[in-house]
Amino acid sequence: MKTTVSATINGVAQTFEVEPRTSLADVLREQMRLTATHLGCEHGVCGACTVLIDGQPARSCIALAVTLDGAAITTLEGLADDPLMQTLKASFHDQHGLQCGFCTPGMLMSGWDLLKRKPDIQGQDIRVAMSGNLCRCTGYQGIVRSIEKAAQTAKGQVSQTKGAAA
Amino acid sequence: MNQTLDGRDRIVRTQGVGASVKRNEDKRLLNGQGEYLGDLQVPGMAEVAFLRSPVAHARIRGIEIPEAHKGSVFLASDIPFAKPIVAVSAAKGFNASDYPALVSDKVRFVGDLIAICIAPTRAEAEDIAQSCIVDFEDLPAVWDIDVATAAGAPKVHDHWADNVYVETRIETGDIAAVRAKAEVTVKRNLRMGRHAGVSLEGRGVLAHFNRRLDELTVYSSTQFPHVIRTIMATCLGVSEAKLRVIAPDVGGGFGPKNNFHPEELAVAALSMKLNRPLRWIEDRREHLIASPHAREHRYELTAYADSKGKILGLEAVVVVDAGAYSVWPWTAAMEAGMSAGIMTGPYDIPVYHARAISVATNKSPLGPYRGVGRSGACFAIETLVDAVAREVKREPADVRIENMVPLEAMPYRSATHKYYDSGDYPTCAQMARDAVDLPGIRARQAKPSPDGKLIGFGMASYTEQSAHGTAEWVARGLPVVFGYEPALARFTPDGKLILFVGIQNHGQGLETTLAQVAHEELGIPVADVIVRHGDSSVSPYGMGTFASRSMTMAGGAVSIACGQLAEKILRIGAHLLQAPKDAVTLRDGKVFFGQQSVSFAQIGEAAFLHPERLPEGEEPALEANAVYQPGRSTGAFSYATHACVVTVDPGTGHVEILDYVVCHDCGTMVNPMIVEAQVVGGVAQGLGTALYEEIPYDDNGQPLASTFLDYMIPGATEVPDVRVLHMETPSPHTRFGIKGMGEGGAIAPPAVIINAINDALKPLGAEIGETPATPDRILDAILAVKPAGAAA
Repeated sequence: MKTTVSATINGVAQTFEVEPRTSLADVLREQMRLTATHLGCEHGVCGACTVLIDGQPARSCIALAVTLDGAAITTLEGLADDPLMQTLKASFHDQHGLQCGFCTPGMLMSGWDLLKRKPDIQGQDIRVAMSGNLCRCTGYQGIVRSIEKAAQTAKGQVSQTKGAAA
Repeated sequence: MNQTLDGRDRIVRTQGVGASVKRNEDKRLLNGQGEYLGDLQVPGMAEVAFLRSPVAHARIRGIEIPEAHKGSVFLASDIPFAKPIVAVSAAKGFNASDYPALVSDKVRFVGDLIAICIAPTRAEAEDIAQSCIVDFEDLPAVWDIDVATAAGAPKVHDHWADNVYVETRIETGDIAAVRAKAEVTVKRNLRMGRHAGVSLEGRGVLAHFNRRLDELTVYSSTQFPHVIRTIMATCLGVSEAKLRVIAPDVGGGFGPKNNFHPEELAVAALSMKLNRPLRWIEDRREHLIASPHAREHRYELTAYADSKGKILGLEAVVVVDAGAYSVWPWTAAMEAGMSAGIMTGPYDIPVYHARAISVATNKSPLGPYRGVGRSGACFAIETLVDAVAREVKREPADVRIENMVPLEAMPYRSATHKYYDSGDYPTCAQMARDAVDLPGIRARQAKPSPDGKLIGFGMASYTEQSAHGTAEWVARGLPVVFGYEPALARFTPDGKLILFVGIQNHGQGLETTLAQVAHEELGIPVADVIVRHGDSSVSPYGMGTFASRSMTMAGGAVSIACGQLAEKILRIGAHLLQAPKDAVTLRDGKVFFGQQSVSFAQIGEAAFLHPERLPEGEEPALEANAVYQPGRSTGAFSYATHACVVTVDPGTGHVEILDYVVCHDCGTMVNPMIVEAQVVGGVAQGLGTALYEEIPYDDNGQPLASTFLDYMIPGATEVPDVRVLHMETPSPHTRFGIKGMGEGGAIAPPAVIINAINDALKPLGAEIGETPATPDRILDAILAVKPAGAAA
């Protein structure tokens, strides 16, 4: 039995057919071919599948698509032009915040959300805030440094903008 | 103008060997444009779910497939042409066994493959698998080493005499004489738990037939596609020329993707039979119960020492639970053999007798995992060294350093017949010790802490064989001898360089570091170099990425090939500039004669499109093939000392890491940024082995950890900021003096953590000798020495 769901995905209105058990991740990956969203555990622990549902970070592997009629969903692809995400990606490159790249989209989504909420976050607080995203390659050091650096850079950008406005 | 490492005058190394160049591969991965196995789709593709055994040990009496699903479920009898995988060590007395794509007679572990179910979606395929009914005749589960080796034990493989794959021995020196003269004898029984590799991306296979090329294409999330092609062709009964194996972006390997898996064979065989694209993506539960597992070692060790703690001789019995099948190509003998074979580590222990026993049980087969064998050996010897130090009442750091192979003894032949090529082990250990301020820790320990927590200092050292060549692999008796690595360096007519290599990059940064080697030889910008790997039809035949080998081996091959191209480019450039060849130089993608220059694009154009512009006698085209073997095939030995400070809460058994330092030496570092990150990532995995990760089995042979809720890998809050100190002693036997280092970080953490915990527990007289050191185990150790009647 399939149900029709309408949702906005990365700003575009989409309609898709799902079974009651179909996860959002499977809709994104298999139907929409948005494969930046990765599946590392499919039971809501590793965080590789993190996307934004109505602006809140969520595990797309345990979000049932059928419940998302009318929702706005944003994946890593949808933030390609976002200045903070670009800053974050540049920091991950600069601070060697990724190795195999599999956890990376989830790290970027969670990191982006974190910096939106807590632009001044540093060190151990980043570790605590990011503890819902697992990485097997980096030992997290590069990821923590990347987010720290992005926080500094983003702050500089904001103050520059403010300076320009003044 | 700088000198290159081998003394030749050449180019300024802004991006070459030794520079922390940012990675070429980052861009696609950061943009979510990596292509992992699960991202691939082929038109007409069906999804695979395996029907796996839910029981550990049973005969299959029958399999009932619902009428509605006949045609979607396939058994061993449907792919009779698929030959079983047979991995036999050349070690004398090795018991051979078949590892079939699908079992038909009996199942040997929870997760064993019984049938392939296909459907348009994975969910539907899983529904079909659940609808099948298997009639099992239960057999007693061989769920533990002690069960397997008991008299009259049920047999995992019916045609064997017992449950032992093989027992090997090393006997160096006169152990009886050492026993007689030792002033101190210290024995320890130790255990390292069984766990999984846990790449964040699981395994996966996609097979489809390419009609035009008359070729089966198999995508697999593997670390060694060329070698997979070889064994897969054998098992499928086809020519390697009709088989293409591609590793797309691979989301972490760490060893479990370095075997030929029955899943790979089953999917390929059925795709061939049905002439239909099939895709299997391992889920996390499958990974935890049925991917080749890691570790599960037991040790009985005896050190014979003098009254100062100088170890005169060592006896070791290494018993490894190798699980139900022998994995290809490593065989079931690998873990125990490698552990016993490196047991003396960085220590000058002249007399050594060891037995290495690999036992078969009804558990997932044991395979390679980062640090293979050596994590266990390091844990064993280092725990023992600390025990010796406690016995002679001396500082463990001092006893450790005094027992090490001194600098002046290098190169050194160990009692395990390893040839340590270079290094200064004592200095490395001293640097790690000094970095954590040992006197400061001892002073803190002398005062009671306000919160009742106990502080402990731990230290552990290892030496790691890397870049093993032909002789070493021959000595191990494996079906494939991984003694070399090729590279094809090919310019395009517009002056860019593509390196085709037989290794596989899954996080190590080889798309960057191999480009750095090309830069070293050619002065070409790293950004102008593309590294192509992971495709058996694209690159020359190579061995893949494992055993800390790729940088040394593929780096050597790229260096030779690019060196040949550099010569040719200089000749062509000199000709185009009308200059003498010895007056021109390579820099920034150009050939210079004074202020004049020609670009690689102009040289590429001449070489490929305008051979009339070439010097007389110069062959057109601009590409070179090379094969590299290290100067000695006994390996280049990296080494390190890890030191850490922990607190142990004697009330809860909880361990907190306060400080963690690694001092290591991997010879010449091609990219220090990447080296450091590999060390830190390895440490994180080793901390998982030390403190968190375990798959226990119950007495029915059921795995008790099969999700991330009951199997814990370290998260960001469990891993400390690791401080890394570098030493660089180039290997005399490899190009640029590189030593492999990918695995090293994961080797020492179990040892260093256990030593730190035991140092903390010392005032209580308690000691732990098992990983993972869970709070329960630590509390048990404390309770074991508490006076009777004392409150828990």
